[in-house]
Parts: sequence; C-alpha cells; structure tokens
Amino acid sequence: MNNTEKLKLSENIAVIAGIFSITVALLLLLNFWQVSKSDPIESKALIALVDRLKQEPNNEELKVEIRNFDLLARKAYFNSQWQVKTGAYLLLFGAIILAFALRVYYSLKAKIEQPDIVLENEIASRILAQKGIIIVGAVVLALAFGASFATVNHLNYYNVESETAGSGEKSVDESIQVIEVGEVPKQVGGSTEQNLTSETSGPVQPEIVFVENSVENEAETVVKSEVPKLATTGGITLADVQKNHNSFRGPLGQGVVAHKNIPSEWDGATGTNILWKSPIPKHGYNSPVIWGNKVFIAGADDSSREVYCYNRADGKLLWTGVADNISGSPAKPPKVTEDTGLSAPSLTTDGKRVFAIFGTGDVIAFDMNGKRVWAKYLGVPDNHYGHSSSLITWANKLLIQYDTNRGGKAVALDAATGEVVWETVRKSKVSWASPVLAEIDGKYQLILTADPIVAGYDVETGEELWSTDCMMGEVGPSVGYSDGVVYAGNEYAILVALNPKDGSIIWENDEYLPEASSPLAHDGLLIIATSYGVLVCYDAKTGEQFWEHDVGTTLYSSPMIADGKLFMMDNDGMMRVYEFSKEMKLISENDLGEIAGTTPAFSDGRIYIRGDNNLYCIGK
Amino acid sequence: MEKNKTKNRREFIQGGVRLSLSLALGGISGMAVSSAIKDDYVWQIDPFLCTQCGKCATDCIMAPSAVKCVHAFDLCGYCDLCGGYLKPDANEQSTAAENQLCPTAAIERKFIEEPYFEYHIDEDLCMGCGKCVAGCTSFGNGSMHLQIVHDICLNCNQCSIAQVCPSDAISRVKASEAYKVKGDFTNKPEV
Amino acid sequence: MVINIMKKLKYIFITFYFLLSTFYLFSQEQRFPKPEFETGYEQPSTITPEPRALALEYFDVLILIIVLSLASYFALKKRSRQGILWLSVFTLLYFGFYRNGCICSIGSIQNVVQSFFDPAYSISVTALLFFIIPLIFTLFFGRTFCGGACPLGAIQDLIVVKPISLPKWLNKTLGLIPYIYLALAVLFAATGTDYIICRYDPFVGIFRMDAKFHMVVLGISFLLMGMFVARPYCRFLCPYGVLLSWMSRFSKWHLSITPAACIQCKLCTNSCPFDAIDFPTNEKEVIKSGLGPKRFITYAVIIPLWVAAGIFVGAKSHTFLSKANPDVYLAELLISQPELKNDPENIDIETFLASGKSMETLVEEAEAIRADFYIGSMIAGGFIGLVIGFTLLNTVVFRRRQDYEPHKGNCFSCSRCQDYCPVEK
Repeated sequence: MNNTEKLKLSENIAVIAGIFSITVALLLLLNFWQVSKSDPIESKALIALVDRLKQEPNNEELKVEIRNFDLLARKAYFNSQWQVKTGAYLLLFGAIILAFALRVYYSLKAKIEQPDIVLENEIASRILAQKGIIIVGAVVLALAFGASFATVNHLNYYNVESETAGSGEKSVDESIQVIEVGEVPKQVGGSTEQNLTSETSGPVQPEIVFVENSVENEAETVVKSEVPKLATTGGITLADVQKNHNSFRGPLGQGVVAHKNIPSEWDGATGTNILWKSPIPKHGYNSPVIWGNKVFIAGADDSSREVYCYNRADGKLLWTGVADNISGSPAKPPKVTEDTGLSAPSLTTDGKRVFAIFGTGDVIAFDMNGKRVWAKYLGVPDNHYGHSSSLITWANKLLIQYDTNRGGKAVALDAATGEVVWETVRKSKVSWASPVLAEIDGKYQLILTADPIVAGYDVETGEELWSTDCMMGEVGPSVGYSDGVVYAGNEYAILVALNPKDGSIIWENDEYLPEASSPLAHDGLLIIATSYGVLVCYDAKTGEQFWEHDVGTTLYSSPMIADGKLFMMDNDGMMRVYEFSKEMKLISENDLGEIAGTTPAFSDGRIYIRGDNNLYCIGK
Repeated sequence: MEKNKTKNRREFIQGGVRLSLSLALGGISGMAVSSAIKDDYVWQIDPFLCTQCGKCATDCIMAPSAVKCVHAFDLCGYCDLCGGYLKPDANEQSTAAENQLCPTAAIERKFIEEPYFEYHIDEDLCMGCGKCVAGCTSFGNGSMHLQIVHDICLNCNQCSIAQVCPSDAISRVKASEAYKVKGDFTNKPEV
Repeated sequence: MVINIMKKLKYIFITFYFLLSTFYLFSQEQRFPKPEFETGYEQPSTITPEPRALALEYFDVLILIIVLSLASYFALKKRSRQGILWLSVFTLLYFGFYRNGCICSIGSIQNVVQSFFDPAYSISVTALLFFIIPLIFTLFFGRTFCGGACPLGAIQDLIVVKPISLPKWLNKTLGLIPYIYLALAVLFAATGTDYIICRYDPFVGIFRMDAKFHMVVLGISFLLMGMFVARPYCRFLCPYGVLLSWMSRFSKWHLSITPAACIQCKLCTNSCPFDAIDFPTNEKEVIKSGLGPKRFITYAVIIPLWVAAGIFVGAKSHTFLSKANPDVYLAELLISQPELKNDPENIDIETFLASGKSMETLVEEAEAIRADFYIGSMIAGGFIGLVIGFTLLNTVVFRRRQDYEPHKGNCFSCSRCQDYCPVEK
C-alpha cells in the first residue's frame, strides 16, 4: 500500500465512522428526548386506568387492560435504558475509530512545513493582549457589578415581614387574613365587655348574645392594644360549660356531664322516647354541641362547608351559616378520605359565638343568630385522612390543635376577632385527637396528644408546661382527665396515666388500646373503648382492670358519663347504657335505627345524637 | 560574564520561589493531614431522615439510580397486606399489575405460610423511586428503605442526589461502615 | 369528632394484628412484629455490597505516582512522544473509563478547601495525595501531569486533529477564565455550597457513559471543539491548571525542545498545538515599541486599583453568588414567594415544612452562609483583580531569549515539539 492508498483508506474510514457516530448520536438524542417527554414509568394513562378501576372494582376487562399496559410501559422503560446504554457504547466505539482514522489521515497528509517567515508580531500581539485583558477584566467586573444590582436580597425582607405578621416565624400565617364581617354598632369600650361576659352565665337568649357580640367587635376595633388583657380575664366559666354542652365530649372536653334525668331507654324504629328527629343537610362526622336552647352541628362536601343551628326544643333548623369567601382558602378542597370528610371536627361555642373548623383549614365564627363574625384560613392541613381535631374555647380564646404532616402547633385565636393570641410550635406529628381542658394547680391547661408527645399548654400564654414522649402512630383518641391525672392511649402504642404536674408516667398498660374513642376517667374509674368492640373499665389509680364487655361491633364514638350512667354509642347506632361502677352492669341497649358513630350531647333530661342523616333528640 | 550573572540571579530567585512554593505545599498538606482520615468516604442515605421525595430516582448520575430499596428482613412483619407492595387501596391482595405499587415490578412477593409473605427486592429492576418505602413507612414497620448500593455507586466526589436532597439525608460516611441499614428501632434518633 | 378516621385498610390491619398478638407479645415499637414461622422458613439476609476496597484506593495513588514518574521520564529524559502518547492512552483507560474520572486531582482542590473550612469534614488521605502529588512532581519536572497522567487532558490530547493557532492576545485573555473558575470553585467549596468543578466536568459523563443530557452535550461539544482548538478545557478552564502553572514556572527541571544547542531552524514553531512555545525576543523592536519600564510602572501602580475594584465588586456580588447555596435559595424562595408553601409540587418546601424546622432557624442559617459569602466573595474578587493586574503587568515584561523555548507555565509536556527538533543528542 502506498501513501496515497493509505490516505484514501483512512479518509474513507473516517467518513464512515463519522457518519456512524453522528447517526448513533442523533438516535441517542432522540431517545433522550423521548424519555424526557414521557417517562413510561410515570404513565398518566396507567394512573387514569387504575383510577377508573377504583370506580369499577370488578371490571375484569379493565384489569386485563391495566396489566397489558403496565407490561408495555415497563418494557418501554427498560428498552429505552438498554438503548441508551448500548448507544453510548456504540458512539464511543465510533468516536474512537473516527479519532484514530483522522489522526492517521492528517499525519499522513502533514508535511513538515516551512515555518512562516514572518511569525506573529510579538509586540503587536502583546499590545492587543493588553487591550484584551483590560477589556475582559473590566467586563467581568462590570457584569458582576451589574448582576449584584439586579439581584434582590430577600433575606433582608424577612424581619420586616415577620414583624408585620406579628407572630414570629409562623410559616403558614403569613398568608392568613382576618375578615371581620360582623356589624359594628357604636357602643361602649373594652371594660364593659368584660362585665357583660361574666354576667352571661347559663343559657343565654340569642338576642342578647348578638348585641354583646357586636359590642365586642367594637371594643376590638377601638382598643386593640387591650385585647390580650381582656382575653386573659374574661370568658366563660366552669358553671357555663356545665350548664351547657359547648364542646366535643361536653364540659372541658372531659366526657363528664352534670345533667340529670337522662333517659336510658329509647328506640328509633318505634319512636319510643324520640322527641324529635330532624334531617341534616350535609354530611359530617362532628358531634352536636349545645348552648342555651340551640344545638349546633356542621356538615360539608366538596362544594360547600356549612354550620347548622337547630332549635333544641323542636328540632327546627334555625339557620345555616356558610363558610365561603374566606381569603386565601383554596377553591378546591384538599383530598380527604370518605370516612373522615371535610367536617370531622366538632364545633364549640362560648354562648356568644359558635366556632367551626373544616378540613380545608378554614376557621369561622358565627354569632348565635348565624351572622358571620370572622373567618380565617389557617392553610390546608396536610393530613392524609382529613383534619379532625375538634375546637374548644376558654378564656375568650378559641383553642385549635393544628397537628399536620408538616409539623404540629397549637393556636389560640381571639374569640372575638380571630386574631392570633398565641401560637406554639409543637414537636409533634399529625394527630386526629382533640384538645381537652383541665384545671391544674389553679391554671387551665390545654392538653393535647399526638405522635409522639402528650403535652400540656398554658391556656393564657401557650407555653408548653410539660411534655411526655410516650405516644406513637396515628393518634385518634383524645386524652381523658380526672383528679389530676391525664390518661392517653392509642392503638399499637400504649395506654398511660400521666401526672400533668411533671409529665411523669404513673402507670401504663397495653392490653386494650383505643383507636378512635377517647379514654374517659371519672371517680376512680377509667373507661376505654377499642375499635374492635371491647369496652373496658380500669381502676384509674392503678390501671387494674375491673371489667370488660365485648360488644362485637366497631366503637369509634367516645364514652360519656351522665346521671351516674355510662353511655357508649357504637358505629351501628346502638347506644349501650351501663351503670357507672366497678361491676359491669348493662342497663339497656338502644337502637337509633340509623348508623351513628358520633358522640352524644346532653342537657337536662335530653340526649342529642347525630345519626348519619338525622339529628335526634331523646327524652321522655 | 554579565550574562552569567543575570542567569545566576535568575536561578537564585527561581530556587527561592521554588523553595517557598514547596513550603506552601507542605503547609497545606500538613494542615490537611492533621484532619485527614485514612479511611475513604462513600455516600449513604440515613433512612430515618429520608422523606421518599423521589429525587433519588431522577437525580443520580447513573440511570437507573445507584439508590435501591433494601429490605431489612429483621424488621419486616411479613404482612399479607403490605403497604410497600400494594397500592394504598388496591383492588385485591394479589400480584396483579393493577395492585402493585412498584412501577417496575421490582418487588417479588413469595408465600411462606399462612398468612405470611416474604418480600424481596430485585435490584436490577429497582430504580430507587422510594414508592414502596413511603408505603411501608406509613402503613407498616418501615423495613423497606432506600440505600445507596456501593457496587453500583461510582462514589462521585460530590453526590448529585445529596445536592438536591430536600431532607439532607445523604451524607459522607466512612467506607468501613458503608451502609445505614435499619437493624432495629434502637437506631432511631430522638425526634 | 374523631370518628372513622382510619382507612378501611387500617381496619383490616387491626384484624391481622390481632391474629398476631395472640401468640406474640408485641413490642411497642413495631406495628407488625416479625412472626415466628412454623414451617422452618429461613430469613434471607439483607444484601449490602461493599464499596471499593480501601487498598485499591491506595493502589490508585501508586498508579498515579508510577504514571507521573514515567511521564516525567518520557518528557525530560527519553524525549519520547510515543511514550507520552501511550501513557495517556493508559491514563484515559484507567483513570478515565475504569475509575470513571473520580477521584481526580482537579476535583480534589475542593476536598482540600472543604477540609479547611468545614470542621465536620476531614479529607481522606487518598484525596489529599491526589491533590498534592501532581503539584510536587510539577515543582520538579513541569506539567508532566497534564501530559500523561490526567484523564481529562488525555482524552483531549488524543482527539487533537487539526489544531489551529490562536493569536496570542486571545490566549492571554481567555487564560483569565481558569483563575475566575478557581476562585469560584474555592468559594463554593469553602461555603459548603457545591463542588462546581465536579458538577461541570464536561468529560466525566463520557468516562461514566452516563450523564445528564446537558452534560453530554457539553462534553461532546468540548470534544468537537478540541479537534481544532487543542485542549480547550486545559487551557481555558482548568482550575487545577492554574496551580500547576504556578508550580511549573518555578520547576527545577523542565522539558526542553532541543537536547543540545538550538540551531534556530524554527521547525518546532508550528509543532505546538497549544501555542506554548516562546520565540526569541527581538530587542530592537521592544525598545522601539515603548513597552518598556514606563508601561511597567504604570501597570504595576494600577494593580492595587484592580484589587480594590475586585474586592468591591466581590462584596457587591455576594448576594447573587450565595443564591447558589440550597439553604439560602430555599429561605429566599419562602420569603419572596410565600404562596409556594401551599404548592404540593415543590418537594423542597414541602419537606422543609414537614421537618418542623422553624423559618427563623432557616433564615438564621441562610444569613450565616450569606455572611460567609460576603467575606469569601471579597477575597475571590480581590484575587481576580490581582490576577488581572499581574497578567497585564506580565505583557510588558520581556525576558531576554535567544532560542525557541517552551513557556514553562503553559507547556503541557506532551513532547510533540521534541519530535520536530532535528538536533541530535
């Protein structure tokens, strides 16, 4: 082979290798583009098919279709990976050949050339270089300088923003706005409001309440700086809450009511002892609360969230309050499971206003006549089932347990205005339990339970007074409280009796654990209801078991004590009445005739039960 | 003569600079050596920090990712209804495609005895998306978790997943303790 | 009220769980304790393949030393282009394709820097050796590392096909980039932000045969460019090249084009693809040009001005430079766009919110990092100013040179020129 032939050969090889490499490179690019455009693994079509299967769980054809599609998608994915890998090797191979052929080609072609007679003019190029360096240096500095002006130091705005937000770092709050809708008559100052409040004990006439409420609004707008002071002193009294049933599980959320003459026999089918029954417009799992002659419940679906007020005497729906047009609240409600819904938390009322929270993160206050007082959006609670912690109110504050997947916090809003009084970040995960109040050492504490802590907070300041690391899992049951001992439990975790003075564990037990139903402690006894249907009575002091009763149905409702009797509703609408004693004594089994998993509310001689579709009043 | 002089002077300066440069190098290496360790580093995921965001599957320089799901059998409950294997509201508890959570079908379900099933990860198919880990952690014991598998990992000087990990779960660990497999729950840090 | 809060799924779990607890006392920690098998099932063990053995890492260091010694021997003693060529093929295969380009000396700059600034990080000995050994060799033999032991250099060197000579002014100006790159790389490594040298290494994707799309494109375009502009990365980007160049300028020995006296045949002038051969000075021209002591003094005097300008601009730039840090970025994002908190698509924000870490802590951390950046970018800016000043000054320094000599700072010791020299030993 002579030199020309070699030259020709290397040239040909180079051309072939070049074309080969370019082709492979283009194919690779195409593949890259395809993969980036539609990741076969995250196929939208497949997700849609599976979603359809949820609607039609028995569609065998659909199943086959999914299987075929899934196989195709996976094949496509692994094929594309194989293609990329193989393509890369082919490209490398082609490139090596190309480089080698080109080198041979050029080295054969190259002759040692006669060096240029006039080489680059050293001096001229140096002068050019000087210019170049100065220009480039100046340009680099100028660009950086310009860029520094074009950029905003957002960190500088942080303090300003948090100052206006008023409450430190609280992430969600920055987007919250308070809307005041209530009427504002010109009237009175802050101090009178306080006096009026203390007078309003017992069931209050709605008209009076309405006036007071308006007064308070005025007070708020006039003397804003005094609001925290007012909040610390005013508010409902223990007598108020005992006369009424103003929160989930009655007075202070402890599950013990003071009312007498409670009926222990009724039958929904025959109508025995059913005083009235009234349909509920929208579904919800919250339990009724009572103030004066009014019963409140809430309901929700994807289209709207509503609060209902019924006349306690005849079951007439007095008014419906709609929680809409709340600033910041997303148009589309978050995804929640069907068995939680958007309205699982129970309402609470302080006799002047009724407060509701929904799974959307909206908190709203109506006056007793259904007029909207304020509303606030707390940010969508990140909760995979749906927010279900009920509200409770004390000392002119609306207390909210807001434990979500993004972390936990307890929030106190001013009952009159909805402004944040305090907010405490908790070292907790998501929780479905509700807050309970208890007077400990002359101070009212807000007791919350969640994974992993049970903790008490000063109602006035929000300060965490104690915290015990003892819970785990998805905590549904709220705490029980009696005689200075807090009882907390959860399925898969443990049942503990805690001393709220120091958070120490008095005893623990893990034989029977509640999943949704809250422990109830009273008079030396502790009642636990497991979700698989066992009702257990323990010695509250030692944790020793007195009795158990396997009812065989699901128990999600919380037990209540009234009139010396223990009332336990099951998920089928059957309420069992027991004697509240160390011995198991079933007094009666009363079928509502409608499924109901809520917790009943009581007033003198009456029980109010929320069924799946109707609100019942039971009495003689 | 003069030429020699300048040459000597230049050599002298050069020698001086060379000496100072070697001193500087020595200083740097000395300082670095004082904190250096003999062991090498590799990257690893702390399963207790991991939030299964899915970036391991997409941000590794390897395709498929060097992050794989590993299964700590000690922790596994051998459940029939496995939150890591089945879609959250699976049509039925079977191996059919519509019920499997894993997009690449990398989990093998093997019947052992009533009512227990063993789950085994096929590493060749696993791409580290962490879907099963999320399922197992929220509904089960958390025995499935993501780890960087070192016969695949190229041990980049800067792990590109660590750079984007939202929960800072990836860090350098000593090569002699290259894995953070969940042995039992005692490893769990205080929350 | 907390009613049906759990999914149906969980209800089935309960039944299942109850089954279990009849014969197994459950621990509180595990939701579903491991069953006791009755059929003699043997539990498989979790497979955890070991990482590459430490001994092999030290073996890499040994290979590096051997390759460096050979490269120095070929370039300085043997004067063999063939030797260097095959050595770089070996380097490409071993450090490049077999070791996947990691760890390399270029990237090790960042490890060294981080070990100084991050008390939680201690450098591994192998990384330190990879950083220091080539520098020591260069201090004695010139940049033989570039010629034979660097996989990035090797891949570029092997694809040089038809190099074109760049004008000197362009060489000088583009030569500023590595300094800026070095300053930024040190700044980012010191603040724990990123390893930009590794992240934007154009060839590592080729070594691994796997990379992100844009990195593949970058790598291929560098290679295509490298066919005509020889070793573009080495000359106009490589931050390690800056350090090597400093060492090489004062190296004890260095490759020489001719083994004996130069016969001024000028055959070598076209041989260097990297424009690293200095020509003899024409003293008359120099005097005529006026680029004498006067200019020298002017440029020397304005060096402090360059430095001051650099520091000033650096101080100004710290804000946008620090945005590269993920913590600062997240904090700023949360402050400037709080509505993103409700965006379930933004994983970083979601995870941050779920972590329970307070916004205050995040902002404090971000501010601390930004403060580090403030000092760091002033130093980096000052350094860049200094480099510009000195490069400028260098253009008016003339060395008396009678022969064709390699530029000690820029020569990669590839031995090409030696092939062209007709002088016999």
